[in-house]
Amino acid sequence: MGNQIRYSVEPEDFYYMDVNVPCQAACPAATNIPAYIRALFEGRYDGSYSINHMANILPGVLGRVCSRPCEDKCRHGEPELGRPVNICHIKRAAADLRRKAPPPEPGPLASLGKKVAVAGAGPAGLAAAHDLCTLGVAVTLYEAFEKGGGMLRYGIPEFRLPREVLEEEIDYIAATGAILKTGVRVGIDVPIEDLLREHDAVLLAAGCYRSLRLDLPGEDLPGVYPGLEFMMQVCAGKPPSIGNRVLVVGAGFTAFDCARSALRLGAEDVTICLRRTEEDLAVTKDEAIETKTEGVKIASLMLSRKILGKERVEGVEFVRTRPGEKRGEGKREVVAIEESEFVLPADCVIVATGQRPEPIRLTVGKKGEEVLKADPDSFSSSMKGLYVAGDYLTGPSTVIQAVGMGRRAAEKIIRDLTGKPFREKTVRMEETEITDRKRAWDYVARQEMPTVQPVPERFRIPRTEVETGLSPEQAQEESKRCYLCYLHYEIDIGRCIYCRYCIDVAPRDCIKLVKEVKTNEAGAITGFTETTHWAEVNAIVIDNSRCIRCGECMRVCPVNCITVTKVELTERTAQEGKDHV
Amino acid sequence: MSEEHFIVIGNGPAGHHAAVTLRLEAPGARITLISKEPHGGYRPHLLPKWISGNIKEEALYVCPVEEYKNMAIKLRSGQKVVALNPGQKELVLDHKEVLRFSGLIISVGGTPRIPEPLLIFKDILFTLKTLEDARVWREEIPRVDSVLMMGGDLTSLAVTKALLGLGKKVYFMVNEEAFWPLRWSLSLFEEMSHRLQQKGVEVLADQRVKGITRKGDCDYEIQIGRQTVRVGMIGAFFGLTPDVRFLAASGLRLDRGILVDEYLYTGFKGVYATGDCAQIYHPALRDYWVSVGHDNAVELGRTAALNLVGNTVKAGAAGKCIFEVQGIKVNTSWWTEF
Repeated sequence: MGNQIRYSVEPEDFYYMDVNVPCQAACPAATNIPAYIRALFEGRYDGSYSINHMANILPGVLGRVCSRPCEDKCRHGEPELGRPVNICHIKRAAADLRRKAPPPEPGPLASLGKKVAVAGAGPAGLAAAHDLCTLGVAVTLYEAFEKGGGMLRYGIPEFRLPREVLEEEIDYIAATGAILKTGVRVGIDVPIEDLLREHDAVLLAAGCYRSLRLDLPGEDLPGVYPGLEFMMQVCAGKPPSIGNRVLVVGAGFTAFDCARSALRLGAEDVTICLRRTEEDLAVTKDEAIETKTEGVKIASLMLSRKILGKERVEGVEFVRTRPGEKRGEGKREVVAIEESEFVLPADCVIVATGQRPEPIRLTVGKKGEEVLKADPDSFSSSMKGLYVAGDYLTGPSTVIQAVGMGRRAAEKIIRDLTGKPFREKTVRMEETEITDRKRAWDYVARQEMPTVQPVPERFRIPRTEVETGLSPEQAQEESKRCYLCYLHYEIDIGRCIYCRYCIDVAPRDCIKLVKEVKTNEAGAITGFTETTHWAEVNAIVIDNSRCIRCGECMRVCPVNCITVTKVELTERTAQEGKDHV
Repeated sequence: MSEEHFIVIGNGPAGHHAAVTLRLEAPGARITLISKEPHGGYRPHLLPKWISGNIKEEALYVCPVEEYKNMAIKLRSGQKVVALNPGQKELVLDHKEVLRFSGLIISVGGTPRIPEPLLIFKDILFTLKTLEDARVWREEIPRVDSVLMMGGDLTSLAVTKALLGLGKKVYFMVNEEAFWPLRWSLSLFEEMSHRLQQKGVEVLADQRVKGITRKGDCDYEIQIGRQTVRVGMIGAFFGLTPDVRFLAASGLRLDRGILVDEYLYTGFKGVYATGDCAQIYHPALRDYWVSVGHDNAVELGRTAALNLVGNTVKAGAAGKCIFEVQGIKVNTSWWTEF
């Protein structure tokens, strides 16, 4: 007999997952991170890759270019616990070390007799196409460029994302039945009205390809390039002439890609100019360090005011800034300091301050173009059957956000087309034995991604991938560091004899004597009222938001009253009308 | 006892003098001085002289440890702050103790900066920031005949002077990474090179390190441009990186250091930053500046303490040691003393 498994769709269990498995909660695609890390630890590389693929469709790609919101929330990164687990690079290790074969797919289910057109074969469009295909929908992907991949192919340099990795994972998606039509511009070559007529639904996921301007004097001088256009020319193998001194204005991945590409094009002095500080960068810390390692300078607290030059660009006038108040939970305001002007010389200026969607012609014969709007929750536009997702809907986001959104849009489309849900999120609970995780693993040093060294080797062949991947040994060592927060520890107070041995061995304040357990309206535990007075103690509890799953409490418990349950946020076929067992 | 509890983080020159000033200005207050290092305060600018044997170890210390007790300053040495909540006015030590304060002066100084392109060599580069670093230098120097100095900060020149005094051959590699917080300029490089050459130092032109090969014990071959240099020891002197990583989640405004106004105020009531972890915008200079050097640190420490107890004293940006290169100003005595 196997262990008992239960499924729950109760709000308190979803709340529990949000609080206690913070990495998965932070992932826009809800990737089951502890599960794939554990699979890799056990040497099950194919399984680890598949667990990823089920949620985020592009593990090999994301193992290289993900913005890693999970690592910001990793409990190993809490102040006294060290540094976050290198989650992203474990994902890549699974992709690198598996057998090169397509991962198992949940479908395709029998044909639903429905046709959907997806405009844009970037991460959102690919993810939506994948899910629709595996649920039995006939999908045609329309891509304006020569090949699929969108921004992954045309906006990210090859030294960060080798094209064979991208192509392989696009092939997996194509293998689910999606038909890819390239070189077709929806709204120009094919009117949206035609697509709507020929399909049951259309999903517009055309990305953001129009660079934002600074709107400064001198911006149209020769030698000033919009960041995305610069990157697209580099990726197409037709880079512009840039000279020796390059200033890149911007703080996101595109700005960093432009700067690193400029070095590979022969520039000797490349500076990224930030309005804020390095603390506020949109890129990962690893990316910032690699960029500086290659020789790019990062200059902070400066705001461009004027691009200088006569025949072509000669420099930029800046003023100093200071960080202002925070806007809600977001970034700080930028406050220009007047009378602090200074000039930096430049042969080339790359403006990489963001992108917006291309306006699109919606109706044949009607003059003018517009950016199509849609409801961010339902993805529905004002035109029946027309949905919008990805960067086109939200503005520039990250690859993992686009993937997550594409999948949610697919679910919404299929629900509208058939009148019923197909997949649902559920919390899967399985009793398990104590893990073999050792306390000493908490002190394993974070395994850093090896890179091509010495640095000049990277420039010899500019396409050379800089990050060379964790070895199997490094990947396993890093996987040991994961606390496996999907394990839920609980004391059965009916059997507990209150000996408090568990409290004595607890590595932090994770086991508590409480007089009250606080709950919210959904019945989820939101906190505890602790007490040091023995007469007030009503329970002894494990606070799973503080627990680091070391297992010491179980090992010392004289009456075996501590149990472990594996709780996972998973997807399954929708169970409408069925009992949740 | 007053309920006022002032905490100073860091027992370098700025922190020490901040604590002493607080003692004088607020006789009834409780004062705690927290230091990562396991001993009392010392004068880091004298470490090169100690390396060369010109002074004894006792001369390094600002005062005997017992003196803190006499001043009613609680010295917590060997303790590290790992988190700060300036709004709640509490900080967390690495052994999980929480301390509450009514006023705080952050003077954590910096850690030796290794430019990112040189990070792969960091295990073979010698830096000099702490007493422990200096002990390592004292052990190694007798075993080598020559030293390559990379960088160009204040300490590099004092160490060069010490090495020359010990009869060592010194190579000095100056490149644009060398001068933070100053910006690179040809005139700065030329003037510095000239002074070094006058003292018998071999100056290597503005070049980047292509590779370092360890040929044996205390034997390194360094490829610099087309040149190859063979030395027994390599020193890295690229200034300090303010040691403020532990403040990332604190809500303080951070850039390279803690951003403060000319009163060293962080924007959080009762919280000041001083010494070389404070990055200051000064309207008169029209730019951010950082103060380095012992004398400036002492002055800034006093300034922060005075402001914490209610005064409005501006951090002096135009003192006798102000140094100007192409409009960028650094409050230091720097290499003009070399």
